[in-house]
Amino acid sequence: MSHILEVKDLSLHYLTRFGQKVSAVTDVSFTMKQGEILGIAGESGCGKSTLVNGLMGLFIPPLYPTGGDVLVSGESLMNRTPQDIRKNILSQKVSMIPQGAFNALNPTRKIKDIAADVMAAHSASQGKNISKHDIYKRLKDRFDLFGMETEHILNSFPIQLTAGERQRSVIGISTLLNPKVVIADEPTSALDVTTQKVVIKMIFDLLEKNIFSTMIFITHELPLLRHVAHNIAIMYAGEFVEYGTAVQVVHDPRHPYTKALMGAMLSADSEQKNRKPTTIEGAPPSLAKKIEGCRFADRCPSARPECKKNTQNLKTVGGRLVRCDYAE
Amino acid sequence: MLKKYPTTRYVLLRAIWYFLTFLVALALNFFLPRLGSDPVDIMMAQSSFSSPEIRKQTEENLRKDFGLLQISDNGEIVRDDNGKALAASKASQLVNYISQVFHGDLGTSFKNQKPVSQIIIQALPWTIALQLPAIIFGWILGNGLGALAAYRRGVFDKVIFPLALLMSSIPFFVFGMVLVYFFGIVWEIFPAVGAYDINLTPSFSIDFLVSAAYHYILPFFSIFLILAGGQAIGMRSMGIYELGTDYIKYAKWLGLKETRVLAYLFRNAMLPQLTGLALSIGQMVGGALITEMIFSYPGLGMAMLTAIQTNDYPVIQGVTLLITSSVLLANFTVDILIALLDPRVKQSLAMDAN
Amino acid sequence: MFKLLKNLIKDPMFVIGVVLFFGTIVAALIGPYIYTAAEEGLSYESPSSSYWLGTDNLGQDYVALLLQGLRNSLYVGFMAGIIATTVGTLVGLFGGFKGGIIDDILNMFTNLFIVIPSFVVLVLVSASWPEGRSLTLIAVLIGLTTWPWTARSVRAQAASLRSRDHISLARINGATNLQIIFKHILPYLASYVFMVFIMQVASGILSESAISMIGLGPIGEGSTSLGVILNTAKNNSAITYGYWWGIFPASIVITMIVFALYLLNNSMEGVFNPRLRK
Repeated sequence: MSHILEVKDLSLHYLTRFGQKVSAVTDVSFTMKQGEILGIAGESGCGKSTLVNGLMGLFIPPLYPTGGDVLVSGESLMNRTPQDIRKNILSQKVSMIPQGAFNALNPTRKIKDIAADVMAAHSASQGKNISKHDIYKRLKDRFDLFGMETEHILNSFPIQLTAGERQRSVIGISTLLNPKVVIADEPTSALDVTTQKVVIKMIFDLLEKNIFSTMIFITHELPLLRHVAHNIAIMYAGEFVEYGTAVQVVHDPRHPYTKALMGAMLSADSEQKNRKPTTIEGAPPSLAKKIEGCRFADRCPSARPECKKNTQNLKTVGGRLVRCDYAE
Repeated sequence: MLKKYPTTRYVLLRAIWYFLTFLVALALNFFLPRLGSDPVDIMMAQSSFSSPEIRKQTEENLRKDFGLLQISDNGEIVRDDNGKALAASKASQLVNYISQVFHGDLGTSFKNQKPVSQIIIQALPWTIALQLPAIIFGWILGNGLGALAAYRRGVFDKVIFPLALLMSSIPFFVFGMVLVYFFGIVWEIFPAVGAYDINLTPSFSIDFLVSAAYHYILPFFSIFLILAGGQAIGMRSMGIYELGTDYIKYAKWLGLKETRVLAYLFRNAMLPQLTGLALSIGQMVGGALITEMIFSYPGLGMAMLTAIQTNDYPVIQGVTLLITSSVLLANFTVDILIALLDPRVKQSLAMDAN
Repeated sequence: MFKLLKNLIKDPMFVIGVVLFFGTIVAALIGPYIYTAAEEGLSYESPSSSYWLGTDNLGQDYVALLLQGLRNSLYVGFMAGIIATTVGTLVGLFGGFKGGIIDDILNMFTNLFIVIPSFVVLVLVSASWPEGRSLTLIAVLIGLTTWPWTARSVRAQAASLRSRDHISLARINGATNLQIIFKHILPYLASYVFMVFIMQVASGILSESAISMIGLGPIGEGSTSLGVILNTAKNNSAITYGYWWGIFPASIVITMIVFALYLLNNSMEGVFNPRLRK
């Protein structure tokens, strides 16, 4: 079965003003099939945002690809001009639902106009010269699917909508052209629980209706991912340190970092209720210099002297991939 | 009652506010000149008279014209028992002045006895013809360049930015003098003085229009280029700020065309720029008027200069009142424009009303 | 704080601005002492070895005139700047920090004054009070009419700071209002107020040159300013006769000072306002 998204040993780096190479993402590999939701979790600074840029083909200085490949429906995103990426990939093949989505809408433009702008920008594949009336009809049909008050929302300015309406408008706009891969960056973080549920439901609806094919759900809330994602990848210092099914990663973490993350979570889960949250001391390492051995060694509660010397590679442990020689 | 129409209510409130400010400006316009010496005394000191009676009569007439004397209901000067004209109180002088202004009477010029309003109406078209296009086009060019510089950065920005900053540091009239020196005197490409050739009279003939156009170029560019520089700097800062906002990032992520992203940027950065423009219009008009003086352009600038040189207070007062009024009007217009153009303002108005 | 200053020094704009500005200040302060004016010569002699920048209409040495004019223009700029910044900061700080009805009143007051053109006030007072036209009066007038700019900016900053966490913390710990203002708010505002001060000085110099240009400048012995120099040149048709030294040196000096101040302001904005960094 062909994969919608294939990422092979993707590495990305930044060039600082002084010509220093800072590795942001190292050898990330995974695949996604139709209908799959992948959750990516990790601290801030772990490389999530950089990875997202890479997955969209947005290699804009000072961000550069070091190596590897990203294939969407078999089409590579590497070695393409920004104009090419803009015209053919963004919004159509890969789309992003940004963090803090309610500020993502131009305050002086109505929702329908923003959506129309997206269609006009990629009109080559949409068929040029569609009349305004047709555009509005398309928008209405699409937004009707979400079960929102379409007329009101399309004709409003962002400030006139509630936070939940804005979030869902952004989701609607990002998925307007039926992208294959949708990347949602903390889509529920600043919302209240009820609205969160509505947004999650919307996402599932869209997936079911095949509006988009796969989704990458980025968040730091692991318990949420348990309910939403099929698979979860834990990211640390630019690498995947654990990658398995949601059940595996959340209920049976093997990598020390994942365990620590789960330990630091507050969860309403009955199994977790009586556990005291723990903290992880220290901060992620600076990636400006090459790091010997395991990147988590400095903060790992079960670190051994060998950890700092031997590079850790992904091994299969307990049916999933773990980047730790001593995990079991 | 008006709560249903928050925008209208806002416009009305603003109108009232600006009207009150106008009254304050009128009072200032009235009192400030009187802080110094009595203008009539100054005038009297400059003139000589053939006899004491004529002197007394002239002085009385001047004082009457200037609103300094008490006038009875039938227009006669009120006198005390010794026949001396009674001075009107400051308060009644002010009221008198205000009512005169609202009747369109701005006094009479000391110099040539013409009504001030007439002098102003003669000079105004030249000033408007020069300043309005210069301000509008300067705003457009400046903001356009500033937005591009913010968006492109790189070499374009590195060239535009210092240049625009330098331009904005030069006063209008200094630049005017520089332009006149090089283009008017040294290279003799454009005329250095006046709005049209002295041998011609204003008409719609081709000769006149061509001559007027030639004379227009230097003064126009003195104002236009400097203004554009100032606007470019402001817009560039505004643009850089807006470029860091979430909605611009999202627009880029959505793959919107570059022109569209720029349009988003411009549309949002334009609003505070308009406000800034309205606030600095006072300075601008002042500077532009002085530029007119450099070129002896027959607008309000020259009218004011001549009035200053001849102590013609009514004319000075008339012109300053006009300047203040146009500043108030400009600010009022921008306030309304913003309320109409910025949905966020409209929304907060609606929320305030409830 | 010092890290920010270090970043400032790296910025070429800042360096040029500082050099230019301090150059003019040094010239203004020391100039009259190390440069003795040449004897009066003929009217409008062109620059030569005896008169580096030629003479004016009265035969006076232009270099001496320029130095004196520079001093006076700087004086007016600084005075106006100090007055405007002091008044504006007090008004803005008080209103922004206290909030409520005091803020509303002060705000109304500020909005009233901000629309009244400074230029108009200068013209009206100067035209009718020729004896009073001194450098100080002009500086005071400029300061008293341009403070609303400072007030507005300071108020916006103070109002946003008022609700910040560390202020609330200080309150909870029992700090008095005055203590809060001086220990917590002022340090944040300091850089901001300084930047506004610089702009006020620039605006003061420009306003003074404008009012002098129309003949309403300072009168009196030794009170020539850069604007007055230009006005005299224009009145004596220096442009028409090609006496460029009457126009250009003064013009260049004014532009240079204002440009230097703008550079300083811009580079500081780049450092203190991180959103403007590339």
